[in-house]
Amino acid sequence: MENHDHSPALEIHQMTVNYDKTPVLWDISLEIPRGKLVGIIGPNGAGKSTFIKAVLGLVQPISGKIEFFGQPLKDVRRRVAYVPQRESVDWDFPITVRDLVLMGRYGRLGLFRWPRAADRVAADHYLETVGMSAYAHRQISQLSGGQQQRVFIARALFQEADVYLMDEPFAGIDLGTEKILMGLLRKLKNAGKTVFVVHHDLNSVEEYFDWLLMLNMRLIAAGPVAEVFNPETLHETYGKSYSLFDEALKLSQHKAKGL
Amino acid sequence: MESPLLFFTDAVLRAPTIGSMLMCLAAAIVGVLVFLRKQSLLGESLSHAAYPGVVIGVMVAGALGLEEHQSSMIAIFIMMGAFITALIGLWTIHWLVRKLRFRSDSALCFILSSFFGIGITLASNVQYVYSSLYRQIQSYLYGQTATMTDIHIYVYGIFSLLIVLTVVLFYKELQAMTFDRDYAKSLGIKTKPIDALLFILITLAVVIGIRSVGVVLMSAMLIAPAVAARQYTNKMFVMFFLAGLFGLISGFLGNYFSVELNNYLSLKYPTDRLVIPTGPMIVMVASVICVVSLFFAPERGLIVRLIRIGSFRYRCMCENLLKAIWRHSSKKEISFDEIEKYQSLSPIYLRFLLWRLSMSGWLEKLDANAYKLTVDGNLWAAKIVRLHRLWEVYLANYLGVGAERVHRNAEEMEHIITPELERELTLLLKDPRTDPHHQPIPPRH
Repeated sequence: MENHDHSPALEIHQMTVNYDKTPVLWDISLEIPRGKLVGIIGPNGAGKSTFIKAVLGLVQPISGKIEFFGQPLKDVRRRVAYVPQRESVDWDFPITVRDLVLMGRYGRLGLFRWPRAADRVAADHYLETVGMSAYAHRQISQLSGGQQQRVFIARALFQEADVYLMDEPFAGIDLGTEKILMGLLRKLKNAGKTVFVVHHDLNSVEEYFDWLLMLNMRLIAAGPVAEVFNPETLHETYGKSYSLFDEALKLSQHKAKGL
Repeated sequence: MESPLLFFTDAVLRAPTIGSMLMCLAAAIVGVLVFLRKQSLLGESLSHAAYPGVVIGVMVAGALGLEEHQSSMIAIFIMMGAFITALIGLWTIHWLVRKLRFRSDSALCFILSSFFGIGITLASNVQYVYSSLYRQIQSYLYGQTATMTDIHIYVYGIFSLLIVLTVVLFYKELQAMTFDRDYAKSLGIKTKPIDALLFILITLAVVIGIRSVGVVLMSAMLIAPAVAARQYTNKMFVMFFLAGLFGLISGFLGNYFSVELNNYLSLKYPTDRLVIPTGPMIVMVASVICVVSLFFAPERGLIVRLIRIGSFRYRCMCENLLKAIWRHSSKKEISFDEIEKYQSLSPIYLRFLLWRLSMSGWLEKLDANAYKLTVDGNLWAAKIVRLHRLWEVYLANYLGVGAERVHRNAEEMEHIITPELERELTLLLKDPRTDPHHQPIPPRH
């Protein structure tokens, strides 16, 4: 048996992701140690969501190798939890808050098995953790934006994973909720978990994260916040230097479609 | 009148009745998933895509020299043909969307019309070549239950059982995939095989359904029970249960009404030979259940929602009126003319509102023309003004909205803010004394 104890939480070698034959992420290589709170920043369309989806195997990269704890995703799926963007689902779907959180265990339960009493109790526990116990039996359409986000996070916590990938968990929520959620994420980190957060507010980057990925179609910088978060990398990430590339890309997309 | 029970025992009636009920059950169950996946048009496309298969099935049967009376053999060819072309249609839709980047609604409509067109063309050919079998094809267009036999009960029973069993066994996975496909994948749920299974079941439900209600009306049997069921529940498994129940009811009542009506018509107009076909009757019953549910369901029904909207508007009107009186003269009396001056309401409606407000104890009517706020009325009006101005402060100070633009929004929010929200606002804004227009905010009571 190979010893995986010291392998990094996430290791990516030369990952490239295409949509319709045009690249959205170029040649990404990185290594994230365990027990870090990792911010992912970059302008709109920089491929932040795509990065998370590719890492989770929801989008197939055309090349590259992705490993969690030195193993391919399919062997460690249960150790990886996903928090999708809030807008990606239909909140009018007929399901209660607790049943939504229970979904977090579906993978572990496997086929043909129903959630047991213990799962329900655990689901309630995690709803309590995010301060949503009072809403357990409400229909999800009755939740406000911040509450929806908290329920999604409760569902991820319920997976009791080692790596958490969160796509804009702070989008559209108020500052108070953001602080509460941030406290939860720090607790995860202190318990040795690795948490990835797609983030937009540059002002809070230094306060929130200890590791940072700066993306703009390619990896601009990755490393401890103190080392990589500076005006040069920011300029490179958000600056105009990509406008030419962007234009060429647009042309190439049109060519690919035959327009 | 026949006894309803007779429809389950009589040798002639029981096959169409039970067969239709099973078929409706199967359609309703898969319909819930189709509806929740927002693919309602899929049933329509699949049933039309099945039609050329029906015709090809008949052509094969004819080529093999089968005669009209060997109906169960012909039915097997028809079902196989329908199943195959429906699957081809389904696959083509996916191919158009994935590879050629068609929008899914265009792909669905394209398959619907092109496959149905092919079916019609082939059918007109059959009319000349195997004219004795042509009637079989026609019966699949609008459905025909009368010629069903007990074999149909067993076949449909097995299919329905298969569909119900699949939904029960894969409930978790289907729920997760329908709600959020990517998340389900991230859990390690094998979405592709389950999807394939689901599509086969949908196709199966459509293929057995067109025998009863026909190609043209089939999609209603998928969607109508699901839409009706959604009105009564916020839980997916209850939705399956209710939709199944509505399906069974439609299947039964469709048969019952059509037989009863036909008996009645043949007595009343013996020469006209009027016939109410069962298939459309089933669809009508399902549609009535659906429409009634859309209008009268207790929580989500249109009537209840209209009543709620109406009562909210009425409350807004009352609150605005109290507020206007309070601002004008919170302690003194005020004449009707003075109230009317600042209100855009008609005098009659205004009189009515004032009467209602005094009946409820918010307002005191001193004489025919003079009103005064009661103590309670004063408190309520002050509370509304407080909420209005608190919200203005929140908008101006926390969301950076210009002071001149906060009034309109506050005018709406003053009727909506709950006591909990008020408490949070008070805390957040540190219980301010004046609003952005420098008007005093009444203290919390």
